[in-house]
Amino acid sequence: MKPEILPPLTATVRVRRAGWRHGVRLWLPLFLIWLLLVPLLILLLPLLFVGALIFGINLWRSLKALKGVLAATHGTHVEVDRGDTKFFIRLH
Amino acid sequence: MNDSRRQILDMLAQGKITADEAERLLAAVERSPAQEGETVKYLRVLVDANDEHEGPTKVNVRVPMQLLRAGVRLTGIIPARARDQVNDALRKEGIPFDINNLTPQNLEEMVEHLRDLTVDVDNEHAKVRVFCE
Repeated sequence: MKPEILPPLTATVRVRRAGWRHGVRLWLPLFLIWLLLVPLLILLLPLLFVGALIFGINLWRSLKALKGVLAATHGTHVEVDRGDTKFFIRLH
Repeated sequence: MNDSRRQILDMLAQGKITADEAERLLAAVERSPAQEGETVKYLRVLVDANDEHEGPTKVNVRVPMQLLRAGVRLTGIIPARARDQVNDALRKEGIPFDINNLTPQNLEEMVEHLRDLTVDVDNEHAKVRVFCE
């Protein structure tokens, strides 16, 4: 399987409860969250750098590993059916 | 008929191998190369529970194996001092495991073996099935 490079860009969420005429279907643009987080990360970079020096952590490797974890969540699928409530989420 | 099959059957005819051995060899030859090369993509967890108070619940989770690999890479950024502390804590709990051995290479071996793993738990309240696909 080819590893994904980018974190999940969208998510599909479906919720349906007993008594609801129609279920809720949401398409969440996760890329907007990443776009908002990037400037924040850049602002925090000096602080993170100092923290990494103090704790002896390789900042570049840490950020790369964190990005890897986010990217690896592609294809995650969770479905819960509790009789009166159905919930489904998938990361794309 | 390919060369390998013919060779096995010749060996059987000549009495060099037994019928059981020939069967095993033929099965190994017939195992498709595509199946051999297939990688495990997802870890699936299926739960079918029936709680007295909360009623029936079904859970279906599919986690990409890539997440496991990425998680192991995260262990690479743990400072050496913290690794020792983790190892000590694991030893105290009776788990003789060295997280320094948790490398991407070792993980690939483990993931490869997970292909045949299936965990089935079945009791009166819940059925749980964990497998890789």
